[in-house]
Amino acid sequence: MPDTLLIDPNELKQPGSITFESIPVNQYCGSVQSERPVLGDEPLTRIYRDMTVLREFESMLNLIKTQGVYHGVEITYPGPAHLSLGQEAAAVGQAYLLDTDDIIFGSHRSHSEILAKSLSAIDKLPENELMKIMANFQEGRILSAIEKLFSPKDVNDLAIHFVLYGTLAEIFARRAGFHMGMGGSMHAFFLPFGVYPNNAIVGGSGTIATGAALYKKCNDKDGIVICNIGDGSLGCGPVWEALNFSAMEQYDTLWEEGRKGGLPIVFNIFNNGYGMGGQTRGETMAYDFVARVGAGVSPSEMHSERVWGHDPLALIDAYRRKKALIDEGKGPIFLDVLTYRLSGHSTSDQNAYRSKEEMEAWAAVDPITVFRANLVDAGVASDGFFDDMWAETKERMTKICGWAADEGISPYADFSADPAIIERTMFSNLSVPSFGDGQPKVLGPKEENSRVKQIAGKNRFAFDENGKAVSKMRVYNIRDAIFEPLFDKFYEDSSLITYGEDVRDWGGAFAVYRGLKEALPHSRLFNSPISEAAIVGTGVGYGLSGGRVVIELMYCDFIGRAGDEVLNQLSKWQAMSAGILKMPVVLRVSVGAKYGAQHSQDWTAICAHIPGLKVCFPATPWEAKGLMTTALNGSDPVVFFESQRIYDMGEMFHEGGVPEGPYEIGLGAVNRVRTGSDVTILTIGATLYKAIEAADILEEKYGMGAEVINLHSLVPLDYTDIIASVKKTGRVLLASDACARGSYINDVAESITELAFDYLDAPPVVVGAQNWITPPFEFDAEFFPQAGWILDAINEKLVPLPGHADTVNNFIDVEQIRRSKQGV
Amino acid sequence: MAEAVLMPKSGISVESCIIGAWKKNVGDAVAVGDVLFDYETDKAAFECESTADGVILDIFYHDGDEVEVLRPVCAIGASGEDVSAIRAESGAGAAPTAQTDQTVQAPAADAPASGERPEAIATAAAPTQASQQAQTAQTAETGSDKASPRARNMAERLGLSTGDASPSGPGGRVIERDVIALAAAAPGGPAIETREARGGEPALTEQASGNAGPYADKKLTKIRSLIASSMQASLQNTAQLTHHHSFDATEVRAVRKAFKENDNPAIAGVSIGDMILFAVARTLVEFPDMNAHLVDGNTVRGFEQVNLGVAVDTPRGLMVPTVFGADKKSLIEISVEVKQLAAAARIGNIAPDLLHGGTFTVSNLGPTGVEMFTPILNPPQVGIFGVCGVTTKVKQTESGVSSYQSIGMSLTYDHRAVDGAPASRFAQAVCDKLAQFSLLLDI
Repeated sequence: MPDTLLIDPNELKQPGSITFESIPVNQYCGSVQSERPVLGDEPLTRIYRDMTVLREFESMLNLIKTQGVYHGVEITYPGPAHLSLGQEAAAVGQAYLLDTDDIIFGSHRSHSEILAKSLSAIDKLPENELMKIMANFQEGRILSAIEKLFSPKDVNDLAIHFVLYGTLAEIFARRAGFHMGMGGSMHAFFLPFGVYPNNAIVGGSGTIATGAALYKKCNDKDGIVICNIGDGSLGCGPVWEALNFSAMEQYDTLWEEGRKGGLPIVFNIFNNGYGMGGQTRGETMAYDFVARVGAGVSPSEMHSERVWGHDPLALIDAYRRKKALIDEGKGPIFLDVLTYRLSGHSTSDQNAYRSKEEMEAWAAVDPITVFRANLVDAGVASDGFFDDMWAETKERMTKICGWAADEGISPYADFSADPAIIERTMFSNLSVPSFGDGQPKVLGPKEENSRVKQIAGKNRFAFDENGKAVSKMRVYNIRDAIFEPLFDKFYEDSSLITYGEDVRDWGGAFAVYRGLKEALPHSRLFNSPISEAAIVGTGVGYGLSGGRVVIELMYCDFIGRAGDEVLNQLSKWQAMSAGILKMPVVLRVSVGAKYGAQHSQDWTAICAHIPGLKVCFPATPWEAKGLMTTALNGSDPVVFFESQRIYDMGEMFHEGGVPEGPYEIGLGAVNRVRTGSDVTILTIGATLYKAIEAADILEEKYGMGAEVINLHSLVPLDYTDIIASVKKTGRVLLASDACARGSYINDVAESITELAFDYLDAPPVVVGAQNWITPPFEFDAEFFPQAGWILDAINEKLVPLPGHADTVNNFIDVEQIRRSKQGV
Repeated sequence: MAEAVLMPKSGISVESCIIGAWKKNVGDAVAVGDVLFDYETDKAAFECESTADGVILDIFYHDGDEVEVLRPVCAIGASGEDVSAIRAESGAGAAPTAQTDQTVQAPAADAPASGERPEAIATAAAPTQASQQAQTAQTAETGSDKASPRARNMAERLGLSTGDASPSGPGGRVIERDVIALAAAAPGGPAIETREARGGEPALTEQASGNAGPYADKKLTKIRSLIASSMQASLQNTAQLTHHHSFDATEVRAVRKAFKENDNPAIAGVSIGDMILFAVARTLVEFPDMNAHLVDGNTVRGFEQVNLGVAVDTPRGLMVPTVFGADKKSLIEISVEVKQLAAAARIGNIAPDLLHGGTFTVSNLGPTGVEMFTPILNPPQVGIFGVCGVTTKVKQTESGVSSYQSIGMSLTYDHRAVDGAPASRFAQAVCDKLAQFSLLLDI
């Protein structure tokens, strides 16, 4: 909705037609003979050698999975093995021209890509660089494990052993693995060689790789990003979201000079014909040709084409041309790379979905056999030369398999000696003022910003010196408290960007970002498409690439649209990488009010349930500013909940109001807003204000003092102050706007019961919303916890209140049982 | 399980309704939609239809009763099903047997109309006869051995039984305030750790002080509170008793007199108290079971070294600094050290480490003229000696009856760890050493 782009009815109503350029299919017509002068004989034989390494690696795993033994090395490996036997030419051809600055993301079937890219990098890196990488990686643990086991021919040979061993040990879940065995077969990667995370969720890399490309673009980093996903992933919504996100027209129409052009990314679809057992062409998909997909995305048709993936030379040719396009700012690229996996989806695959005839036909065009024949025919080298090469590969692989299988050389993580192995990597817990390495790009000085000026005139406490409430227009509210630290961070961290739906011109649907547009160029603040999966997934990719990002889902309910990205990706990568990756991503989600069943849900419990996410939910301006400051200085993913019900609230509790300067509130702390000795009320979110209302009634009508504590931080959560309060009062009520069943406060209630049982005068009582759909705003009082409900719960469960008549029957045991029985 | 039929809420402002007439009786089979009874609000009359299929198992409110809306009015289910949970929810109290129906009017404690709610009971000076009956009846009918963990713990600390308390919590549960009320009602009831003591607001002052006239409240100091709780804990958690011994003080008095004239101030300052400490330390090494802690109620931990706790009266209250390794120290060393410790304790700058680690304690009230007392153990130590004042006693000797100066020694010990005979032997050994103190000095 930028006003610079006119939507002109007179133009739009004109008749016409859309024309498409034709999409090339297997147009490469070079050969070994024609490439010899370009590539040289030695590199051509190296291409063959790399393919043998890939083939042998996967064959080894196949034997281990099916027979438990490889060339005499016995090992039981219970984990997954999604093999890419038959796809070697595509992987090696792709990697051939890539530099270490060029990075690849992959899928569950990516062993070949990891190895091909690593071998390519080893070939390109100078020896001292290679040694430095190996010596520094994981404090040299992998290098020192293998160095003493053999005498390498040279550094190159050592590095090949290093990468094969590190990958295999990772697959075998050994400490010497690239990520101490905590990622495994489907998540292995090795950043120094440009191998970025592979993803066990089909299509999971689609959005993440796009985010990495966004990082490269916004931080002027060299190199391109390759998103290796399969044809099966084209059935996944997030992949389509990623395609569009990578090709948004605003890169050309709106972004500032120097940052123009589509994202530097190649969507490389390894098209092996199957999504598990589902045949994509002809059965589960509609495209006929995978390459057709690119054509629908953008006027450039994403420069889509199909490449015959059995010929490494065809891939080299394609990448040479596509890299040049990206260098011209003409990305993104869509490639349909035709391959075929000779083995099953996994080793348990019975191949019931394909015919013997088909498999034999593909075996007959085995890329390794064909390429070798071409090399021999062209006179590049003799058959005997290639036999020796094979023998060397096998010998090396046998040796490495022996090392990786040997528990003495390659021990498992020892949880009895160090129970915190994983615990330590769940969060990085760093304080990093800036992830950027340049001057932050801004459009003007801070103090000239209209929002900054407006905030300067506001009262930072909700009441004036006479105790009178300051008017809504003049009070520093939660919007301001979120804006302020974010605005400051934009002037401190050049890597920081923010995007989401309607964040730029609109200033965010709830005006939190109002004024931000004046300060930031498009590349740092832009409107995303309505693509929640892409918003979060690209954020993950941006964060793990090394940039800080604040992304926004307009409504908490839209987390459903970004389920995988929030629950499987944002949360997992720090620990799956054994702490190598950082995830400085703040995900703002807004809990709605007034918009009914699909726009008013508090899903804190869902996020808090998932290990690896920090979760907070400020309910006052003081909390909001302190928590946002902390989140923005950190290195961990923080899901930052906000409530639309209370954006306007001024600071009513914190003495002196909200400080003007920066301050942090440690995640885990709680905020005691009122003291009392008769009952403790713990709240999450906007319910705080209902609890205050109830506390007032308790005081005035029943002479009871309620201690009200707001849990602004759900994960982590420090129970110290909570337990101290409960020990004092003996009674505790927990309230939240989330539906009562499975709400996070149940978890807190259970912990309190365990930690303070002997001090309790009654079981902790939980007051949540009804387990219904959220009805229209007119029925708010029937659905969300009210002050009256809190009194009801106290009356029924904690201590009878003389003369109190219940307003709802939620807290009567028989009613509780009935409702549970009905599932409501 | 049986289902409850709730008094309908027939309007947003309706809080209670009056039952007109029941159309069904206990035992009647009913189906959903059958009219059970009619009822009226202040504005209109309605019929209440059954919300369950089955047999009416119990009716909690009867014709003419005023019932809070959303309260169970009756229970419906299969014959023989338990309805006690629903009855408890109904707030209607006792099952209507002939006796209780007569003596206990529709349970005053829970009927909102009566105004006699548990809160009021708890804060009244003493529960009235009527409400106690009501509470007792409720206790009986709900089988109320239900008590919150907090209430149980408080009752245990006070030596009370929650079964004796009138329950005022939800569903007839005894909660903390009921134990407080019980304690307050008992004559000379024990001191109670109130919410106030934990930083809360006054809860008990009025009840405890009654009409005793004008008074001044003084908050316990931190150290006073600590003494209070450790003294109470000692008496509640151990099996302590006291033996009273004495010894002929003729010799220690003579020694004291001789010391006093010495030019060396360290020697001149040695008191009879110091001599007693010296003797106790020297004797304890022979009685390892007395120089001990009782750990976890099942282990006697005998110490090789004697760390003697010495009770000191300070302006802020009782403090017990420790003379470490007293068994290895000379009389003069002990004397000098005790003076230093006592001075530091009185000034208030004593190192906290010196207030712990004792293996046995001596408390000397001799100068105050006490004749005998029962010192309170300092757990987990198993013994403490109380030193009493000098009294004149007579004894029969070969030359006839003669008088002598005697000092009383009161030994309190934990009978869980030590039996009476060995404890007495220890006390006797100390007394023997003191009676022949010169011999001790020669060792």
